[in-house]
Amino acid sequence: MRSPLSISSLLASSLLLSTASASSGYHEQLNLRPLPLSNLLASFNFRSNTSLADFESQNFRLFPRSLGQILQYAGTRELHLRFTLGRWDAENWGARPWDGTREGGTGVELWAWLDAETDEEADAKWLTLTNALSGLFCASLNFIDETRTIRPVVSFQAEGDHPNTTLANAKLLHGVLPHEVVCTENLTPFLKLLPCKGKAGIGSLLDGHKLFDASFQSMAIDVRPVCPPGGECLLEVEQTIDMVLDISRSKRPRDNLIPRPIQGHELVCDTSKSYHSDSVCFPVDHLQSQEWTLEQVFGKSIKGACPLIEPGVPPVCVEVPHSRSIFASEGSTEIKSQDSDSRCYDLASDGDFNLVLTQLDASSDGKELVEPEQPLLYADRSFTGYGQEHGGVQAILTNPGDEEVEFVYMESLPWFMRVYLHTLSTRISAASSIPTTSAETSAEIVKEIYYRPALDRERGTQLELLLRIPPKSTVFLTYDFEKSILRYTEYPPDANRGFDVAAAVITTLSPRKMNIRTTSLLLYLPTPDFSMPYNVIIFTSTAIALSFGGLYNILVRQIVGADEGFESPVKSKLKRFLAVITRRLAG
Amino acid sequence: MAPPPSGPTQKDTASSAAASESPAPAAPAVKAPPPETPTAIRRRSYIVLSFWLLVVFLGLPFWWKTTTIYRADLPLDRMLEWADGKACRPAIPIQIAVHADSLQEEEANHLVRLAQHAIDDLNDFSGHHLRLQLAPRQDRPREGEHNPKSALSIHLKPGDATTAALDPYRAALDITYPLNSVPPLHSASSMLTTYIATELRSTFAEEQSIVSYLLSASSSPTSKPAGLSPAVIEALEKRATRALRYAPTYHLTFSLFTDGPAPTTWDIDTAINEYMKPLLDVLGPIHNFTIDTQVQLYATPGVQSQTLTKDDLASFINAAEWPLSPSIGGAPTINFLTFIGNQTIGFPDSEGQTSQSWMIPQWGTVYLLSQPDTNSHVPKDALRQPMLTFGGHLLTLLGTPQSGSLPLRLSSLSRIRSADLLLRASDTLGSLARLSRSLPSIAIPRNVADGVAKSIRHLEEACASLGSSEALYHARIAEEEAERAFFEKSMVGQLYFPDEHKIAVYLPLLGPVTVPLVMGAIKEIKRLLQARKQRAQEAKEKKSQ
Repeated sequence: MRSPLSISSLLASSLLLSTASASSGYHEQLNLRPLPLSNLLASFNFRSNTSLADFESQNFRLFPRSLGQILQYAGTRELHLRFTLGRWDAENWGARPWDGTREGGTGVELWAWLDAETDEEADAKWLTLTNALSGLFCASLNFIDETRTIRPVVSFQAEGDHPNTTLANAKLLHGVLPHEVVCTENLTPFLKLLPCKGKAGIGSLLDGHKLFDASFQSMAIDVRPVCPPGGECLLEVEQTIDMVLDISRSKRPRDNLIPRPIQGHELVCDTSKSYHSDSVCFPVDHLQSQEWTLEQVFGKSIKGACPLIEPGVPPVCVEVPHSRSIFASEGSTEIKSQDSDSRCYDLASDGDFNLVLTQLDASSDGKELVEPEQPLLYADRSFTGYGQEHGGVQAILTNPGDEEVEFVYMESLPWFMRVYLHTLSTRISAASSIPTTSAETSAEIVKEIYYRPALDRERGTQLELLLRIPPKSTVFLTYDFEKSILRYTEYPPDANRGFDVAAAVITTLSPRKMNIRTTSLLLYLPTPDFSMPYNVIIFTSTAIALSFGGLYNILVRQIVGADEGFESPVKSKLKRFLAVITRRLAG
Repeated sequence: MAPPPSGPTQKDTASSAAASESPAPAAPAVKAPPPETPTAIRRRSYIVLSFWLLVVFLGLPFWWKTTTIYRADLPLDRMLEWADGKACRPAIPIQIAVHADSLQEEEANHLVRLAQHAIDDLNDFSGHHLRLQLAPRQDRPREGEHNPKSALSIHLKPGDATTAALDPYRAALDITYPLNSVPPLHSASSMLTTYIATELRSTFAEEQSIVSYLLSASSSPTSKPAGLSPAVIEALEKRATRALRYAPTYHLTFSLFTDGPAPTTWDIDTAINEYMKPLLDVLGPIHNFTIDTQVQLYATPGVQSQTLTKDDLASFINAAEWPLSPSIGGAPTINFLTFIGNQTIGFPDSEGQTSQSWMIPQWGTVYLLSQPDTNSHVPKDALRQPMLTFGGHLLTLLGTPQSGSLPLRLSSLSRIRSADLLLRASDTLGSLARLSRSLPSIAIPRNVADGVAKSIRHLEEACASLGSSEALYHARIAEEEAERAFFEKSMVGQLYFPDEHKIAVYLPLLGPVTVPLVMGAIKEIKRLLQARKQRAQEAKEKKSQ
């Protein structure tokens, strides 16, 4: 999103906003940016606000009532809620939209500043908040219990304009639910919070089928107080949806949804290959500038502008080089930015709006898309080791740029993953030289450690590391852990699937602020055979019964010599029978 | 431990008899085992006995202790008494102060006595009585005109004709009378007293019928209350189904819904302050209210037709899409919904007559407000009619009686509510008692017993103070406690864990252990019986010798 060229336009629009927001209070914008490999990033941004006075007296207009009530009831100063699915492919797609500040780790992530004097009060309010939000968004947020809640020290900073006194009394809590599968039932309540619902404006493009078919999608809700200079303080709710759509997949017709192998004559082949012939084809994965329309990609077109938006902020923007021609529906006006590769569209208040991005002429030498910006940092995290007892985590953090990057690496680990902090080590490898390991460099890399060890069944591990990576180098951060054995009832029904470990959150402090989240991990724990308790009961019962029987018989029975006593009745009967037969045969 | 070889006992004799019978030609020469000594036999008996003693006196109590469920003692009989209405005969005394300053003291006393007689003659329902009382004279120092204990004050004034009028702002009945209608000191009845009696009776008729309906419904749900006409019963049933359950606090949500993009603003704050606040202030002593408001655009109703029929009204609220979630916190939500649109409600039987609003029982009210499309703002004046309608419906939703002046309706509301809560709480206690009797395996934790005890204590106090303002307080606590006891989580959570399951799990242990034990016991008993028989026979033989 923040390509150097687009920053200025965004800044301009946000400046416009801050002056106009007090009057109208609603803003929405859709930003479309084609990505390499025929992907399309669509960023929806909705922002509405209410004056704090109206909020206190519970007069809701553009601010959603259901959310407002929850915030009041739980004494929430600032709230951030994220629903994320998929992985942002930084290698191909470049830097993240909104610098990663509007996305969460896979699953659900929630952090909030709660008004509380003590930690107990904060916990009680946190419980209220998670339960209420769970009901509102149809998500299992109520499973964010104290074992999944941490209190970050350096990773998160309040975004809103808080008076110093309230922030001093506010407690920051952070909870994450990596196992949660985000789906349509979370989108519906999300859309209900919008003033224009999904009925008008850019919100009318949102559809569960397309959104959850995306390669990467993230829904975010941010509530924060905003005090414009010289104006009344406002409470602002910002809803953001980012999705990366595969254009060719989205264009697949509705009546033919099942992917089938492409017919031979429809294949696009790389003709430059030496072996290319009529029978041999090397398919080009980087499809050259496909033509697409909004309606094809999203399955529907925009149903007029939302009438609540303030004039001056165009609702739809496209970031493609000016050389590529775009056709828009009648009634809309195109605003071309002079200093950047973006153009925006003002919509008519009624009538559908559609966009057509044409295929780039082969003859012209213009670029078909804006080159993605290189991110500050690449982050990768994976498990190492084998077996059911021990394991390790390795995070590979690469700084591709020419500037030193300082950042906080935060992990919120479940308690059953017992971290050995003394094994935490870093190894730096410059892009050119051979990897070198030395205590001096690792001490320089990790500047500070905030660590709160886990307590079994009570809280998880919180690990925050302040790191610094020199330019053009890669840091390998590793630590070992032990897998603990859970109690029988603590295993979920699908225990053999593994346990999700939440994404690590990386917050860069310099050269500029941005967020990166790694993928979440799947941890395999030793899993028992779940019929075991019954087997144990039956086995021990049988053993006890056997030994009891033997003991009892020895105690009670009379023991006689082998030739004493009486023959068993069966044996004597058998003998008699045999005697009768032999007599018959003989006689 | 092995018993020494000893002589044969009964086994020996039985098998030797069998051996002698057997015609086996090749019977092997079996050595008879040495006879068992009596000490060995006795020792064996002791062993069997001690095993059984262990099982009975250690195993069984231990098993009992570890598998039994905790059932706190509940005063079941007392609870059922409350449920059956035997513990408390609800009687609501209503104090009525008579101000008759223009009359002589004796005359006034006599008048009051006569009127009381007339009222008692008219009254056929014991749960509700009116008590007349002569108020202190005006010229005496008074602490306030309205005695908080009296529900109504009657102001008798001389006038031209006998008239009665309810004061719309106070709980007062103004009666004028011609001078000659004052009963002489020794007369047994008079026109005026009968008039007062009938006036009072008609004033309290609705409250009385509601209370009698409540009482009869609680004692036996099927029987119709005696002395009420079917039309009255129907009206009462309607009232009962419309009214929300009692709560100390209600949450009012005022919503502006519109089908399209406009209007987006409304003067709700001033409208509420002007039209709603006065009513809420009056209701203050009985209920607290919290208020929120919202505006929702692009809200498509469930029914699109221009004229709404009676059936459409039920589906007009688009529950799936409209954000009308109840407020969080304990208070029940009452929804007041203004829908901007030009739909009207049509009545098939009356041509041309239309209406703008309807009430949804126990939920709230919808008001259809038509407004030109171009207006993006709803002014305060346009909200006047909806707000007044909401106010009227709010009273109905709270269960206020329909007739009488507002102060009178509210005071009778608090009496009806306390009677209602009292009956509800008793009913819940009865259900809990029946539940605990019918499910012997359900666990009853201690706090349920505590809740029941507290509930009964407050019920008693409420019953004793019915008609006064404390009754509502006590009845409320009693109802809360009874509900909490009934819906105790750990009671509901104890799911059915069948005995068959337990047996299946423990059978591998119990089976092989019990079989030798039982067989040993049987053998031992058999031996004892045989020994006794033998001894008896020996004794007989000795005698015969």
